[in-house]
Amino acid sequence: MSATTVETPDTSPAAPTPEMGGFIRRLNAVTGVVLGLVLAVVAWQVSSRLLPQPEELSHNHHDDAVMIITFSVWAIGFLIGIGAFVGPVRWLLGRDLTEADEEFLAGKDQGVARYFRFTTDHKVVGIQYLVLTMVLFGVGGLLAMLIRTNLIRPGSPFLNPTEYNAIVGLHGIIMIIATIVMVTGPFGNFIVPIMIGARDMAFPRLNALSFWLLFSAVPVLLAAFPLGGIATGWSAYAPLSDQSPLGMDAFLVTIVIFAVSSGVAGANMTTTVVRMRARGMSWTRTPIFVFGTTTSVALGLVAFPMFMVAMILLAMDRGLGATFYVASGGGSPWLYANLFWLMGHPEVYVILLPAFAALLEITPVFTRKPLFSFTAAVVGIAGIVGLSLFVWAHHMYVAGWAPALNGPFMVTTEMISVPTGLLILVLLGTLWRGVVWTRLPVLAVYFVLWNFIIGGVTGIYLSDVPVDQAEHGSMFVTAHFHYTLMGGALTATMGAVAFWFPKMTARMLDERVGKIGFWTAQIGFNITFLGMFAVGLAGQPRRVADPSSTFAAGNLVSSLGAYVIGIGMLIFLYAIVHSWRNGEPAPGNPWGGKTLEWQVPTPVPLENFAVPPVVTSDFYSYGEPPETPAPESVSVPRPADAAAPGERPLEGSAS
Amino acid sequence: MSLTEARPADAEPPGEPSTSRPAWRRAPIFPILLIWIVLTALLVAFALVVPARLMGAAASPTMREIETTFTSFSLAAAPVAALVWAILLYSLVAWRYRGGGRPTDPGPPVRGNNRVQVVWVVVSTALCLFLLIWGLIVIQPSTSEASSTQAPLVVDVTGQQWVWNFEYPAAPGAQSDELYLPVNQRVLFRVTSKDVVHSFWITQMGVKVDANPGATTTISVTPDRLGTFDIRCAELCGLYHSYMQTHVHVVRAEEFRSWLATAASQAPTGEVPSPSPSGTATS
Repeated sequence: MSATTVETPDTSPAAPTPEMGGFIRRLNAVTGVVLGLVLAVVAWQVSSRLLPQPEELSHNHHDDAVMIITFSVWAIGFLIGIGAFVGPVRWLLGRDLTEADEEFLAGKDQGVARYFRFTTDHKVVGIQYLVLTMVLFGVGGLLAMLIRTNLIRPGSPFLNPTEYNAIVGLHGIIMIIATIVMVTGPFGNFIVPIMIGARDMAFPRLNALSFWLLFSAVPVLLAAFPLGGIATGWSAYAPLSDQSPLGMDAFLVTIVIFAVSSGVAGANMTTTVVRMRARGMSWTRTPIFVFGTTTSVALGLVAFPMFMVAMILLAMDRGLGATFYVASGGGSPWLYANLFWLMGHPEVYVILLPAFAALLEITPVFTRKPLFSFTAAVVGIAGIVGLSLFVWAHHMYVAGWAPALNGPFMVTTEMISVPTGLLILVLLGTLWRGVVWTRLPVLAVYFVLWNFIIGGVTGIYLSDVPVDQAEHGSMFVTAHFHYTLMGGALTATMGAVAFWFPKMTARMLDERVGKIGFWTAQIGFNITFLGMFAVGLAGQPRRVADPSSTFAAGNLVSSLGAYVIGIGMLIFLYAIVHSWRNGEPAPGNPWGGKTLEWQVPTPVPLENFAVPPVVTSDFYSYGEPPETPAPESVSVPRPADAAAPGERPLEGSAS
Repeated sequence: MSLTEARPADAEPPGEPSTSRPAWRRAPIFPILLIWIVLTALLVAFALVVPARLMGAAASPTMREIETTFTSFSLAAAPVAALVWAILLYSLVAWRYRGGGRPTDPGPPVRGNNRVQVVWVVVSTALCLFLLIWGLIVIQPSTSEASSTQAPLVVDVTGQQWVWNFEYPAAPGAQSDELYLPVNQRVLFRVTSKDVVHSFWITQMGVKVDANPGATTTISVTPDRLGTFDIRCAELCGLYHSYMQTHVHVVRAEEFRSWLATAASQAPTGEVPSPSPSGTATS
């Protein structure tokens, strides 16, 4: 696996003819974009000429087919152009990459340029994900501001219904994609391999592929803007999505690319964690954050293919005139709804698990206490993962699909509160009598527990069939899932950013400005979404461009709160950008953490560990007698053993 | 798992500190209890007043039941939320590290507490069971109601971008775009759609069911308050989704009968309906 990239001293048959290496050295994101655009234009022209013209088909499937082909070709062309397939192709041609090529691919000695190439170093991929996630949040947040501005007073003063619907759908899917990758992307890639004592991911090229796949999906998604947006909400319920404008084709191609990207990333990360943990890192010594990210991506491996299948069927409906979802052709909207929610509910735990796990990782460091019951945390995570696969139809209580199943789905849904409660207990138990060092990361724990209790309790109402009959499809639901996904997961991620920022950027995050932004955003958040609960209870449906004037007061409050969030997020963003450029240099272990990522130098060297670490205990032994004197004794490589343990972990992972 | 387990000798994590109870074991029960009680009281007051007020006066037993459920779930959740927030508040004030720089002294190395964990799991499971049993009981009556003696009034509801259409099979030909219902009589809605998925929602009656193309869904309710209430579409259905709303007028039985007669006599001019053999529901 990564052994080839790792063992620098190992002298392989080194015949790196410079011309051979020269080809990959000329490829980067620009060549990718150029080739992608060229091929897309060619595909567009060819397909619009060759495919049957509109009048030969009952509906205008022609344009849809052209769009789907064009977008798909763009993505493939981009990946070819950035060099994603150079490795496999060279291998097929019998000229596998040389040592020097591999080092080049890992981004050795390339400075900033490596962030714009098909770079395999997991730390580069982590930073790429972080920046891309922030860009997505920026776009999604801007759309949220437009939505709230339109709802500030009745009469849809700002947008017409077409624009409003287009923007609501785009806001939804951009935020969903951003929240799905916001922890496992940046921190799962950058931190987890170091945390488990690995030198890179198991499949570094797949790692780069997963990022650039996601990257290639972003222009496709944004192309939905001029093509009529996503006028269906992000859930894209059929058959409304069958009759939507061409933006829907951009949406479905985006989802397919995203599903492939997350599948590649999930397989990679799962393999990495299962096979490449350091010597001595048994499962009980594996940091809880690793459990959170791994279960999240593993759950994604089950969930996102459902969405992909749903979108492929939709592509056939739209592009070929199939009728999977069209009742008059023998299809069923319930087919779509089931596929969608089979993805949709595991997906919220794909988002929540790593975010919660980050909090579980942060809390011991900032209370200087061991994690309160590692076992309970793992059991909680496992319980959530198991149950989350069997709750999807609680989104369909009122769909009429299978009323007899409402009871069973209510049972599974409400049961999920027990393992979730365990995670909350572990957080509280870790805070209990701790030395609470109220830096930004641990503040996130406080705000998440505040927000998530509200999100969780309102979720219990919604899991109850009769209450859901009143609240389904109302703003109450919107407020509920914003409380869990934004108030819970995104807030936790802001804490995680503050926590790992020094390791990832080698700078300290400006604590004062960061805290101002964080508090502002949190206060605005609670104003916005408490107001939204109120209008939801009063009967305002979701996704309405022009709500009745009955709800004017609540909507005004929500809109003003949303601006406060916007201001807070901008301040937080300023803290990140400013600190990244000019912040004071970070020491290797600013928080006194015990996990392995804090034991390597900052900035982290290319191969992370000079000598593979050996783990002799878990990483939460704060205040425990044997470990108190020197935190290093937990885990740090002992230079004396340098030769021997350098071999053994490789043996272990190969056997 | 054992693949990576290199040294079983060291596998045991350091267990509970076995020394005599140090000072930190004496938990600050009293102040937390106080905050907890205060917060619980505030939340209970909130739960009793605010949601019901926001939801407005119920216009059917269904909605009344929903409001009761909502309130009782809130009451059950109040102490739990209050406990979490009480510990958070207290920890932020009392256990906050006030020195500069990184704390040098570690906190007490507590690794789990079986009693706390068992109590937590048992209580949360009990609460969960309470919610489940409550929920499962509440969803029962709708089926028992179906077997009640009185045949329900049937209304065929058709959603269409972006209007609702109501037909009353009891009076062939009667149709309207505002719903008329007699008070205190059970109504069975048969809901379908002509195009995309809509969701038929009578806000104040707690009635909601999706209108699916190619399928008919049913839901029943007994309106028990006179007046005019809101019908909205609760599933995004395209351009004018926000305007797909109308009213339901709940009127006295005799008023309804005369309205129905008028509607039946004046509506069908254009499209004479076939004399429907199944006028009233027999199901």
